[in-house]
Amino acid sequence: MIGRYYWPTLAAVLVVFAALPWIAPPVLIQFGTTTLLLATLAQSWNIIGGYAGYASFGNSVFYGIGGYGTAVAMVQFNLPFGIGLLIGSLLAVVFALLLGLPVLRLRGHYFAIATLALAEAMTGVVSNLDIAGRNIGLVLPLRKDDAFFYELSLGLVVLVTLAVFWISRSRFGFGLIAIREDEDAAGVMGVNTTLYKSTAFALAGLFSAMAGGIHAYWITFIDPASAFDITLNVMMIIMAIFGGAGTILGPLVGAVLLASISEVLATEVSAMASLFFGLVIVVAVIFMPRGLADLTRRFPGLGWRYFRENLRLHRL
Amino acid sequence: MAVSDVSFELFEGEILGLIGPNGAGKTTVVSLISGTIAPSAGKVLFQGAPIAHLPAFRRSRLGIGRTFQLMKPFPGLDVLDNVAVGALFGTDGGKSRLRHARDDAAYWLDFVGLTHRAKQRADELGGPDRKRLELAKALAMNPRLLLLDEVMAGLHHVEIDEVVAIIKKVRGRGITVLLIEHVMRAIQSLSDRVLVLHHGNKIAEGTSETVLNDPKVIDAYLGSRRK
Repeated sequence: MIGRYYWPTLAAVLVVFAALPWIAPPVLIQFGTTTLLLATLAQSWNIIGGYAGYASFGNSVFYGIGGYGTAVAMVQFNLPFGIGLLIGSLLAVVFALLLGLPVLRLRGHYFAIATLALAEAMTGVVSNLDIAGRNIGLVLPLRKDDAFFYELSLGLVVLVTLAVFWISRSRFGFGLIAIREDEDAAGVMGVNTTLYKSTAFALAGLFSAMAGGIHAYWITFIDPASAFDITLNVMMIIMAIFGGAGTILGPLVGAVLLASISEVLATEVSAMASLFFGLVIVVAVIFMPRGLADLTRRFPGLGWRYFRENLRLHRL
Repeated sequence: MAVSDVSFELFEGEILGLIGPNGAGKTTVVSLISGTIAPSAGKVLFQGAPIAHLPAFRRSRLGIGRTFQLMKPFPGLDVLDNVAVGALFGTDGGKSRLRHARDDAAYWLDFVGLTHRAKQRADELGGPDRKRLELAKALAMNPRLLLLDEVMAGLHHVEIDEVVAIIKKVRGRGITVLLIEHVMRAIQSLSDRVLVLHHGNKIAEGTSETVLNDPKVIDAYLGSRRK
């Protein structure tokens, strides 16, 4: 996929995205910020889910912790946003490491179920913390500057994507892929599986938490229900897989495309939007189970046979 | 209990054949040495030091490499990168740079005769090539001890001879080999000594002539295979 035009195209796309606040209407900038934060989450999930192969349903918990860390620091301790973001991110990393040790011993469905329960547990815990505003939530100081949040989110997407880029061609990344493909074989070949899985989980936690912190400050409000929303976790998984889990750009493309489709459907056919959105997902999973990245790689050679072969794989 | 009361020594530089009927515990012995499963009792020493408490990845860094009877390629990676994983993480921590690991991998692909498949995805390989890939992955770890779990199963005569030749080359590099195999021709031509397991117990040990003519061994295992 890396051809002569790869880097120039990427740079051009980035310039257009960065210039958006000066040329686009406010609605588009707000939509852009949401999408970029979702793209960050999809890309973070890609590290643990796409590369290490551990389908985490607990990433929205990191997002919530990042948001709450930032909110508590700013509201209760009057700290600046940067410090709050740092505290929230560190909290999430510590949480990921502590949690990873027991939970990452589970494989496959068991890991998914264990992480799924986390969001519920965290909602319960935070709803009873005075410092976090119990179940009423916290109101953050207002900063009316959409361009600021947009550029910040864009920077974060670039950061997490650079991290994934590094992973994809490093010893660490090969270790993760080996774990994903066959954990026993990876261990026997010298991969410190526990350390690698935990590090991947912590990295996913770090970037998700930063997205959560930015989101909380932007929206100026956080409460347990929105912070630990499991549908957010489902969204990031769908976006990452739709675009191509375990690839560098797949999750970003998946996030931008699906967020756009969802947005268009919501304005055009508002009542049935989620139905259509569901249809898009089902069709995508059936005809291109390995995501857009695999489609762009193999469609030129195979043509329409590509879809037929995928259909046959499902034995439908 | 899959194996009990089995004790044996592997001497540096030798090839020890491990034979026995299906279910005798041969793969279990390999897994106990490589760390894929933990023993409930007993000791495993490597170069004089106990290793039974170490996780698999630490043992591989000491220089223990293995293949799997049910081959475990990394299907999403191409053949070259499958082998590069071995070079990246093998003995003494392996290579830290991907480029160097891929150079090593290319060397080992050539060693086992798989160079022409380097850019294919591992799950596109046929049975015999998968066996070679298993071997190359383990060799790329630069092991001192190589545990080979039925690398010839399902191969025809010519292919078996080719793998036998590869294993002879491996021995020539001073690597100690534990060879599980049902192919007696290979066991006879490669093994310095042979160990026979039956129902998880050691029933014979010695040179291949002595062991293969032992009435107990013929009775338990070879009976049906002779003639």
